[in-house]
Parts: sequence; structure tokens; C-alpha cells
Amino acid sequence: MKVTFKIWRQENKSSKGNFESYDVEGLTEDMSFLEALDHLNELLVAQNQKVIAFEYDCREGICGQCGVFINGRAHGPHDHMTTCQLHMRSFKDGETIVVEPWRATAFPVIKDLVVDRSALDNIIEKGGYISAKTGTAAEANAILIAKNVADRAMDAAACIGCGACVASCKNSSAALFTAAKINHLSSLPQGKHEATQRVLQMTRQMELEGFGSCTFTGACEVECPEGISLTNIAEMNARRAKAKWLG
Amino acid sequence: MFFRKSIIALTGLFLCIFLIVHLSANSILLLPEETARGLYNSYSTTLRESPLIKIVAYVLYLSIILHVVYALLITLNNRRAKSKAYAVNRNKENSSWTSQNMGLLGIMILLFIVVHLANFWARIKLGMGEGVGLDANGHVDVYEVTYSLFQNMYYVGFYSLLMIPLGLHLHHGLKSAFMTLGFYHKKGLKFLAKAALVYAAIMAIGFGIIPLIVFLK
Repeated sequence: MKVTFKIWRQENKSSKGNFESYDVEGLTEDMSFLEALDHLNELLVAQNQKVIAFEYDCREGICGQCGVFINGRAHGPHDHMTTCQLHMRSFKDGETIVVEPWRATAFPVIKDLVVDRSALDNIIEKGGYISAKTGTAAEANAILIAKNVADRAMDAAACIGCGACVASCKNSSAALFTAAKINHLSSLPQGKHEATQRVLQMTRQMELEGFGSCTFTGACEVECPEGISLTNIAEMNARRAKAKWLG
Repeated sequence: MFFRKSIIALTGLFLCIFLIVHLSANSILLLPEETARGLYNSYSTTLRESPLIKIVAYVLYLSIILHVVYALLITLNNRRAKSKAYAVNRNKENSSWTSQNMGLLGIMILLFIVVHLANFWARIKLGMGEGVGLDANGHVDVYEVTYSLFQNMYYVGFYSLLMIPLGLHLHHGLKSAFMTLGFYHKKGLKFLAKAALVYAAIMAIGFGIIPLIVFLK
């Protein structure tokens, strides 16, 4: 299989960056997208050129590191998928594949396809945790939690922080990420005690980081590898309004 | 931003209610002329003379202004949040065109409102332009203003065609407003999606077809 990669190359944060085209042969459709990039990098090394920087860790769809914008979609052409789970069979032989880094002011490009997603960590630091000791797993099991509450918390907790929601949003809003973290913790008995300050501080930090506001296009929900529902954002808005006006 | 978004949502919902009242009044125009003229003119006179409606009118003006100004501020902020546009962006595969273009649709509606106010509000309320006569009951003949305007096919085209962006804007706006204000009940949102479609369709078709019917009468 042969494809042309059109990839964003940028030396560092302050340089301008531009697209470079690479014709790559010898690919198979069973290769994952990241393996195809590895293959391209091996060719570049052989030619004594600089390799393309891109992020990955687990390569099994759970770590959230491997986010890039492929042919106009976050994580490529499929809904609810990470880049590492994407395979070359999703592309046609001879196709040109355009690969760009996540675009958001809050996610500056560090190098090529790698962006700095610390802004999401900064939001977590403002309340994406429970500060009291919650005990061991056995103790946690002693707290009765209704099945539907546990399920909803788990659905939100599935967020892997990949940033696809921000990348695919026309406003670069981090509302889905922030909402998932807030709803996950605040709906559980252990997280309820800090719910008020959590929602106020985390949403405030989200704005300070320079993310835009949510206009409910729903793009994030489709691109989210975990399929986290858009209703989480409405729930966050309700929690925020309650915290703000009722305390 | 949450405050601004909430204001956009609240003013938007108020404007949605206003449109229902407006369309109900417009439908009087579809009655036979002898009933319609008297009813339409006495209705508009009642509105103009009611002190309560005067307050509602100021709330309406304020709603439009706040909706537009805050939408503009939010949009500018959102633009700043996107560092660079993607070279290739297939956002049609993950979201509706309408939801991606609320600002453009809003500008089209604003353009419509300006022309619409110049045609009616400026002439009847501010007394600008051509004077308006009285009907047999001594009421200002708004019916005549409407009917004479819609003898011009360009105005009919303008009024009818611009109801398409209105319908699209309402369809997304109604759903989005509820979610912005924190309505997150899953079944409720499913119902809301259907209700928003029905509401938007009724508004767009209703407002859009009346000038055509008047023109063809």
C-alpha cells in the first residue's frame, strides 16, 4: 500500500511551521496509523532527516496520548476512536492523508504533531480529585451507591483526557473534558462534599486557560474516543448555576 | 463567559416566546379582508396603547441588543481560543452545519430585523417616511401597510427567504439554550430535540408563507 502523508512540521513553539509531503510505500492495511508513521520515521532516519515528532504511550486506546487531526477529523475518519486504534485499511491506496496537530490557543504546538496539553492538568489541579482519604477498595465497597449513579459516574470517568473534544470544537472549548471530570467526582458520595468549590474552581480555570465556550455543536461527543455524552456539559452548567446562586 | 452564555440563552428563549405571539397575530392576515382589517388594526392599536405591552416592548428591544452584543463578545473570545484553522476540516461529519454557523445565521436575521423595523416600526411608531392612514374604526391602518408592502415581490422574496435562516437558528438555538441553562434530563432532551424541530418549522413556514399568501391574494 502506498500513501502520501502531508504532515505539519514545526521545529518548536515559536517557529512558524508548514506542511511537508512524504510519499510512503511498503505499508500494509493491517498496520496501525502510528505504525505507518513509525515506518515513515524509519525511512527519514535512513535518509538522515529529522523524524516526525508525535505522541503515543499505550497504543491500546486507553492512555489518551496519541491525538492528532487526520484528514479533517480528530483521531481520523471514525467516530469514538483513538489514533492508535486507527488502521491503514481505513484509507485508500494512493490517498493523501493530511495530518495536523490539535489546534487550540490553550494547546501550543511543542514540535510537529505534539502539543502541550498542560492546560487540562491545570483544570484538574483545581478540583479534579477528592482531598479526603477515601480508604481502600474494601472500604469503598461498604458505601452504598445506586447502580444508575455508579454507571453515570463511570461513564464520565471514562474520559482519557486526549483533548479531541477541544481539537474538534470550533471554539476550542474544554467543556466536555471539564464536565466529565466534575460530574464523575461530584455525583459520588466521596466527592459530594467538595462539589461546590470543585465546579466553580474548575470552570473558572477552564476559562483562564483560554478555552472557548460551548455552543453545543456536538462535535466533541462524536470525536470523543469514550463517547462521553454532551449532556454532561448541560449537567455541569446546572451544577455551576446551583453552586453559584445557591451555594 | 457562563454569565454571557446564560444571557444569550435567556434572551433567546424570550424572543422564541415573542415569535409565537407575533406569528399568531400575523395569521389574522389570512382571514377574509373584511374581518382581517378590523381585527388586525384593533389588535395593533391595543398593543400600542397598553402600558404593559410598553414594558414588554422595552424588554424585547433590550433582549435583541443583549443577544447580539453578548453573542458578538462570545464569538470574538471563541475565535481567540482557536489558534489556527485546520487545513482540512470535515466538521460536517461530526456536527450540523447550523450549529457551526449560528453567527452567520444570526447576522442574516439581524439584517432582516433592521429592514423589518424600517418597514413597520419606523413608519408606524416613529412616524418616519410615508404617513399611515386610519381605517373605518379610526385605528391606524397597519393592515394596509402590510398589504401594500407585500405587493412588491422583492419584499415578499426577502421576507420569505430570510425565514430559512430564522428556522435554522431557532432549531439549534432552542436546544442549545436549554442545555446552556443546565437542562440535562436525557428523555427531556430527546423530547426537546423534536419540539425544537417542530417549533422551528412552524415559525419558518408560518412567517415565510404569509407574505406569499398576501402577495397572491
